[in-house]
Parts: sequence; C-alpha cells; structure tokens
Amino acid sequence: MKLFKNKIFLLFLPAAIFMILPFYGFFHALTQSTGGEGLAHYEEILSSERFLSSVWFSIRTAGIATIISIILGLVFTKLFHPLLNNTFPRLMVWIPMLFPHFVWGYMVILIFSETGWMAQTLVAAGWLGDTSNFPVWTRDPEGIGIIVTYVWKEVPLVILLLFPVYASIRPEFYALVNSLGGNAWHRLTTVDLPHLLPVLVESFLIIFSFTLAAYEVPALIGTTFPEMISVLGYEWFYGSSWEDRPLAFAAMVMTSLFLLILTLIGYFGLSRRRWRAMRGDRA
Amino acid sequence: MTQTKLEMKNVTKAFNQDMILKDLTFHLEKGEIMSIVGPSGSGKTTLLRILAGLEKPTEGEIIMNGKNITKQKANRRSISLVFQQPLLFPHMTVGENITYGAKVSKKYKEEKIKALLEAIGMTRFRDHYPSEISGGQQQRTALARAMATEPEVILFDEPFSSLDPSLRQDLRYWVRDFLTARETTAVFVTHDMEEAMIMGDQIAVFEDGNFQQIGTAETLHKLPANRRVASFLGGHLILNDHEFAPLHAVQVGIQKGLGQDISFHATVEHITYQHGRPIAHLYIKDLEKKISLPINEALPKREVQIAIPSHSIKTFSGEIL
Repeated sequence: MKLFKNKIFLLFLPAAIFMILPFYGFFHALTQSTGGEGLAHYEEILSSERFLSSVWFSIRTAGIATIISIILGLVFTKLFHPLLNNTFPRLMVWIPMLFPHFVWGYMVILIFSETGWMAQTLVAAGWLGDTSNFPVWTRDPEGIGIIVTYVWKEVPLVILLLFPVYASIRPEFYALVNSLGGNAWHRLTTVDLPHLLPVLVESFLIIFSFTLAAYEVPALIGTTFPEMISVLGYEWFYGSSWEDRPLAFAAMVMTSLFLLILTLIGYFGLSRRRWRAMRGDRA
Repeated sequence: MTQTKLEMKNVTKAFNQDMILKDLTFHLEKGEIMSIVGPSGSGKTTLLRILAGLEKPTEGEIIMNGKNITKQKANRRSISLVFQQPLLFPHMTVGENITYGAKVSKKYKEEKIKALLEAIGMTRFRDHYPSEISGGQQQRTALARAMATEPEVILFDEPFSSLDPSLRQDLRYWVRDFLTARETTAVFVTHDMEEAMIMGDQIAVFEDGNFQQIGTAETLHKLPANRRVASFLGGHLILNDHEFAPLHAVQVGIQKGLGQDISFHATVEHITYQHGRPIAHLYIKDLEKKISLPINEALPKREVQIAIPSHSIKTFSGEIL
C-alpha cells in the first residue's frame, strides 16, 4: 500500500516540477502587487477608469476574436475535413501556424492599413477615390486589426484541434438522424456539437487566455486608448514612475485569477454526468 | 383484404462499374415482415439504404402506399432504419434518445414514450446513459427510438450481429412479437438463415445482386429454386446444377448401398454434437462438397459410403416466387 502511494507521488512529480515555475511567478507577482500595503493597489486599479476600460476592451476584443476563430474553424473543418487527409491542403492550413504572431500582425498592417496593399489596389482599380477613404482597420479604437490578426492566426489552430475529432465521428450517426426525420440543423446539434464540445471548450480557453493577455499583437496594431490589458501592464511596469510597478503586478494577478476561474468553470461543466457519459464513463 | 405497403420496381444500383443490385422487384403487404438473407458483402445493406432514402438507385422506382417516393429524401420518408450498431446518442439518456426520435419527427407524446419504455422493459433505466446499459438494452432502446417516429415501414440491418448468441436468441423473439403486435411492416436483413426464418413471414434469398428465391421457409426447403439457394440453406446435397437430394434422405454406411441407389465415397473429417446427437462432417471427394449429417452411432472408420435412394433426387424448381 505504501509502495502504491509512493508510485502515485512519483507520477505527479514531473507535473509538479513543471508547475513550480509558474506558481513561483504567480506568488512572486502576488507579493509584489501588495508591495507591503495590503490590497491598496487593487483598490487603486479597480477604481481607475483606464484599467476598467482596458479590462472591458481586452475581454471584448479577445472574446470576439476567439468566437470568430472557433466558428470559422468549425465551419472550415466541417466542410473540408475529408480533404485534410491529403498532404497539400493540410500544409496550406498548417503554414500560418509556423509564423510568429508578430510577423502575422505586420502582414495585417501591410495589407489593411490606410496606405496598405488593399487600399492601394482599390484605388488603382478605381473603386476608391483616395487611400484616405479606406476605413481605419489597424491601430483603430475598435480593435479590428487585433481581431483580424488573431482570427487569421488561430483558425488553423482550431482546425488542428477539431480535425481528429471530426475524423472520429461515425458517419452512420448522420444517416441515423436523417432516417429519424432530422435535417442539417439536427445533424449539427445532436451529432457534431456534442462530439466536439470538450474540444470546443478547450479551444476557447486556450485561445481566449492567449489573446486576452498576449502583448505583441496589440502593441503592434493597437491604439493607446483603449489599450489591451497586456499593453497597459507593460506601460505600468516599465513606465517612468516606479510606483506604478505594483499596479502592473496587481493587473496581471487579477487576469490570472480570472482565467483560472474561467478554466475551473469549463472543467466542472465538462465533468457533469452527461459529458462524462459522452466519453463512455459509467456513473 | 391486404394492401400493398411498399414496392420496389426494377431497381438497379451501380457503384462505378460494379452492379450491386440488378433489376430488383418485390413488394410488401401491410403488416408483413420480410427477411432478406444473403452472404456478407452481397449488397443487402445497400438495398436497405436505398429503401430508407440514404442512397439513390441508379434506375427503378420505390413506391409506398401507391405513391412514387424514389426522389423523396430520407428525412421525409415514413421509413425508419435500425442499424447494425445501436448508435444511441451517448450524451442522451435512454428516455431522451427515445424522445428525440419522437420530437424530430414531430410525433411527440409523453404517453407514447412511457408506453415504449414499458414495451422494451426499460422504464427503470429511463435516466441511464447508453454507456451504463448492456448491448441488448442499447439495441432495444434503438428500436424504441425508431418506433417513436411512428414509421409505416421499419428496416433492420443485422441489428443483432454485435450481440452475444444467448442475448441474440431472446431478442429475436422479442422483436418479432413487438412487430407483430403492432402490425408493423418490416424488412429484416441478416446473413443468418435461422434468424431469417424466425423473423420473416417470407424469406428472400439475396445473392449476386438479385433475389434467388422468395418464399416461406418450407417452400425454400422443399423446392429450392437453384443451387445458390440450396447451398445457402445448407439442408441439401447438391449433385449438379439441376439436381439435389435433401440431406435427410442421405444414408451413411460402411458397405455399398443397394443397386438403385446413387452412392459416393466420403471421408469423415470430424464428429461434433448438436441438439444431443452426434453430427458427422463428411467430405465427398467426387462432388467436392462438405456435408454434415446426424448419425446414430459413432462411425468405426474414417472412410465411409453414402447412399441416396434415386427416388429422393429432385430437380431445382427454378422459380423465384
């Protein structure tokens, strides 16, 4: 029995060692954010309009980018998954994943900025009077450039995650829904979505966490107001005043806690009896 | 008075160059159950999928209640299909799976769901998920789900083949009674002759893209249409393309038989026991055939003579219907 216990401990060891670093970082940040003044810094940022509008802008931008990525990835996988068994279409999908986000952001600027290729092409074609008439899609207050970059970059990731699940759905299920009298909507809601749900939730969490807190893309194509939470944190951290540094830590600690809670909700949601039954578990 | 429920007229199906179905014609009366029996890979499933509307025939038409439904989509046909696997939705309970069938076909009534659960003996398991019940219970639930759509015709595609033999036996009688009690018109596909005889009023022997013979179990045994039917039934010794002898007429002995009998030399390959009797598995070299015959006592030798009285030799009827 004792040996068994030891074995369990050993199995946890690699994960535990791996987790030391992020946990150390988190607790260090926690200490730094209090700065020996309790929750004063938290109170400060929670009453700061700059912080609150940044939180809203970040959640909204990351949320829109994530949901669009997942919907497009889902539609693409649904329509083309038989093709993805071949090397060439598969490469076409995978290639965007090889580029750093920064490169992708730069490309979006090249294409969609007011003096970019798109604007110039439209002017040359005579569909646009002047490049200044082109809508502001990069460094815009709506975060359109950020959303476009993330969607373009994350759709292949969604496809990568969904493809194996799609390939494992038995085609007889679709025939069954048809023979019971169901239509395309029924096939989607009773066959596709339940099979994909765990992966969809995971994809949402991965992409949302990343897009919410990543720095490079919003730094490159975002505006100064409103700004994404990561950009604000960076400014507070490296800003002119050392006093703002604990605010950066407080903002990041709160972001981490928010994502942790979101993950826990997802985890407990998927642990409900219905979704365990989906995986073949017995009660 | 009987009325024709479902008809298939001159249906042909080809995949690329392969002819799967060749000019098939048959009809079913209301409340009739027909078994279609044939070897694996003979195209039985394709035939069912065409009836269900999941596959289009290359040529020919399907008529239901006198109306041509060949072009109608699967979800518009009042035909349900029970698959080889139960295919229950894993995230839905037994009750929800059955309710789903009723709701999708817009024929939901709570009393009906209760009655169906009662009929399949699953009332107690209403809130169980498919992963929590046995294979037989799953297949019964799948049948109830198909019945919940109130189909005019129900099709079965070897629904018991994934179950263990003892369960299969019980379920056969149960489904048969279930269908007869409701006067449901049904087509039951199987590769097992015994199952075909239990399930169907009529048995259609299907091979090589066509019906070799359609009739009751008795007709098939007494008057097999051709050597394909006889060889699938396994109850006859086929002598050539035209003649056969029922196995019960075949005598096994050590000495040569009487003068008017036809006799062959045979090798005893194995002795097994079935229904409490020893069965000799013989190989007849001259006919290149293997037969199995019940014997009364153990045979002392490996080499034996078999004799067929000449009056027992019959010719194939050649008639499909």
